[in-house]
Amino acid sequence: MAVSTRALVDGFRTIVGASHARAVDGVEPQIVVTPGSTGETATAVALAAAEKLAIVPRGSGSTLDQGFPPARVDVVIDLSRLDRIVEYNPDDLTVTVEAGVTVSSLAATLDRSAQFLPIDPPLAATRTLGGLVATNASGPLRARYGTLRDLLLGVRFVQADGVSTWGGSKVVKSVTGYDVPKLMVGSLGTLGVLTELTLRLHARPEAERTVLIVTADAAAAQQLVACLLDSSLQPNRLEVLDAAALAAVGGAATGVGIAVSFGSVEAAVVAQEAEVIGLARTRGAASVTSVARAFWAAYERLWRRDDGATLLTVGALPARLADTLDAVARAGASLRDSGFTTAGCAVVGSFRVRVGRAPAPTVAGFIERLRAAVGAWGGSVMVQGAPREVRAAVDPWGPVPPDTLAIMRSIKATFDPDRRLNPGRFVAGL
Amino acid sequence: MPLSSKFVDELRAIVGSDGLVTSVEGRLVYECDMHTFYKGAPDVVALPGTAAQVQSIVKLCRRDAIPVVPRGSGTGLIGGAMAARGGVMVGLNRMDAIVEIDIANRCATVQPGLINLWLTNAVRERGWFFAPDPSSQMVSSIGGNVATNAGGPHCLKYGITTNHVLGLELVTGTGDLVRLGGAVSDRPGYDLVGTAVGNEGTFGLVTAVTVRLLHAPEAVKTALASFSSMETAAEAVSAIIAAGMLPAALEMLDEVMIGAINAGSGAGYPDKAAAVLLIELDGPAAEVEVEAERAAAICRERGALEVRVARDDAERALLWKGRKEAAGAVGRLAPTYLLQDAVVPRSKLPLMMRQMGEIALRHGILLANVFHAGDGNLHPLICYDDRDPDQLARAKRANEELLVAAIALGGSVTGEHGVGFDKAKNLPLQYAPSDLNFMYRLRGVFDPDRLMNPDKLLPSHPACGESFRPERPALPAGTWV
Repeated sequence: MAVSTRALVDGFRTIVGASHARAVDGVEPQIVVTPGSTGETATAVALAAAEKLAIVPRGSGSTLDQGFPPARVDVVIDLSRLDRIVEYNPDDLTVTVEAGVTVSSLAATLDRSAQFLPIDPPLAATRTLGGLVATNASGPLRARYGTLRDLLLGVRFVQADGVSTWGGSKVVKSVTGYDVPKLMVGSLGTLGVLTELTLRLHARPEAERTVLIVTADAAAAQQLVACLLDSSLQPNRLEVLDAAALAAVGGAATGVGIAVSFGSVEAAVVAQEAEVIGLARTRGAASVTSVARAFWAAYERLWRRDDGATLLTVGALPARLADTLDAVARAGASLRDSGFTTAGCAVVGSFRVRVGRAPAPTVAGFIERLRAAVGAWGGSVMVQGAPREVRAAVDPWGPVPPDTLAIMRSIKATFDPDRRLNPGRFVAGL
Repeated sequence: MPLSSKFVDELRAIVGSDGLVTSVEGRLVYECDMHTFYKGAPDVVALPGTAAQVQSIVKLCRRDAIPVVPRGSGTGLIGGAMAARGGVMVGLNRMDAIVEIDIANRCATVQPGLINLWLTNAVRERGWFFAPDPSSQMVSSIGGNVATNAGGPHCLKYGITTNHVLGLELVTGTGDLVRLGGAVSDRPGYDLVGTAVGNEGTFGLVTAVTVRLLHAPEAVKTALASFSSMETAAEAVSAIIAAGMLPAALEMLDEVMIGAINAGSGAGYPDKAAAVLLIELDGPAAEVEVEAERAAAICRERGALEVRVARDDAERALLWKGRKEAAGAVGRLAPTYLLQDAVVPRSKLPLMMRQMGEIALRHGILLANVFHAGDGNLHPLICYDDRDPDQLARAKRANEELLVAAIALGGSVTGEHGVGFDKAKNLPLQYAPSDLNFMYRLRGVFDPDRLMNPDKLLPSHPACGESFRPERPALPAGTWV
């Protein structure tokens, strides 16, 4: 069915209103549509389906450089107008939000009841919650509170054919039917356009304290971490920092850092802080310092990406911290001036690596060497964001075992048979 | 449809003669789970010892279009491990090994037939534990916990089974043996582990599970508070949560249940109490100390008749004694009961309590309540005499009305028991046709022939879910370009 761009643009304008649909390219039907409700989103997706157009959902736009470059973009569905907090129940510690609500606006609302959503990916204040769910974003607090798979209770999404669908529940405990929210977390908009989320919240701890420990090297850090994990201490963050990260947050320029924080009632954070300081000193740490809360703001800035940097997630294991840091250092020897910074959550063994601007083949080579090293014991390396040339030069996701990939392909083919939802961007170019 | 002798011989070749149950009396043992209301004996029971045998069984059944029903310890409460259409029941109890304990990486890999508590027993001396603790944990299998996504009294703080599963080895309905996820938690692609936990055997059979282990908390403190009404007890629950505490457990018992328990074991709950609240806090000693005092103060402020804080493990065990005996104590009230598992938002508990009372009165039946108040997960026991068909009919009507009331308050059909055969018919209360259609298609990815535990989890339908037709939005006039 041949369609004129003009007629199509008029069609989308009828759905969302003239001021919310604009053509971004007058030749091809490439349009940014900004719906104001789940209903409008569903109808817009249905129209795109009728015209066999490819859809890219967009939150704040901060992770549009994740994954492969898209195979096709006909319509961008911009969710920024879906910015209402639908229902906040402080007594139930649950909130239902539209997908375009930003992290900072939700935090401001929850703060009034001394509650929070403990998902803290770096520099995410302006990101949308839909974007966080679609990319399974996380930060240091996962050590205590887990990730979005542990906090997303219910989800509304629009399927490829425009059918509005709900999965999960609005209560903190439900096993009714399949766990559809888990399928949607980290699915990068390839199975549906997320429009509404119900999330589990936590009470903000009354008190919090952070200790920064510097150890001689990765092996010493590994031993101290093992000792902390095999104790009844209950940290809410436990991050390991390489020398570059340590220097950037104002610590020593050599050695490996461990930043650990406790959140609880005052008496408990004081007791745990004393215990961790004692442990670190007994084990011969080079330095042990209590640091201000501002430490975490500085730590977050390690991951800024305004200068053409590449940001990676390395999936590893708690007992492989030293191996992972060594693997990064060995792979990074070829990076020269652009340098790299590594730090991550020791409780689950998940790291971030930032590589400064460098020629695409250099960065791609680094990723491939690191992938081979950690892949030997089951680890993964995924590109969280990178210049397009880098993502064209290396698979941004890395290998998925063939039998697992076959199931993923089958899921994609079942729910998006014409490959119109974010085509090409996800693993194996799904 | 009886199985052909050729098929049974082929099955015997896979699992051996001692791995096959064919006699009528042998199969009778497998005709139901703990929901004894629903019965369906399998045509044969196979007891494989390896994942390869499980895979061969599924391939054989698929070839001849024979239903496959997995079974762990048979302690489920939903008619899940019940051969609704006959076929082959696969008992996984012989696959009960602990494959690997990896404390350094905070995980363990086990076979599905391993009893839940045995895993904690294996790591307790080193100071670790496996968090999901369904009341059946002394007998239920981890494979069964994964199938139903089981909960337990302590999941208020620690989450249900899915929050502790890192990897699965699964024989899908297509007969493929796949390994999903694993000890490394960050991986590319869809979260297939999260999607598969709680599939109740409709995706296939789990042959190994990698689970998270946690370090035991430094301190545990248990308190018991009694109240003169359910409403004030429910308000105390809300106030404790609002004060920023996340107890490991917050359990409530009503007047009927308190009476039944006191008549039996003599747990010594206050006779005048209309509600008993069990509060368990765990974590760093200093935190537990402060929060136990705060929780006790909140209960007193809300007019608690009595607040007892256990001073040692023996006293702690005594406070829990009555709670653990609750289901048995109901035997004093009626020959049998229907067990509910609906969830309401915690703030709606007082309202739900009133509505429950009205429903019980309207149908002239006795309701006993013991439930996880902290997360709003209700377990009313609807008592009846199964020799009286009229009582049974009234109990069933009350059961349905309770579910409708819970959903109307924004709740869920099941919080931790699962759907199974029992609650499949209730899913349309919570999900629209579009939502159910999505689930049917998801199931089809793993089990295209719909032979894996048929008639469970999803409501039955005339033609593979087509009765759950999704509603597509109508395009407004002028958009038909």
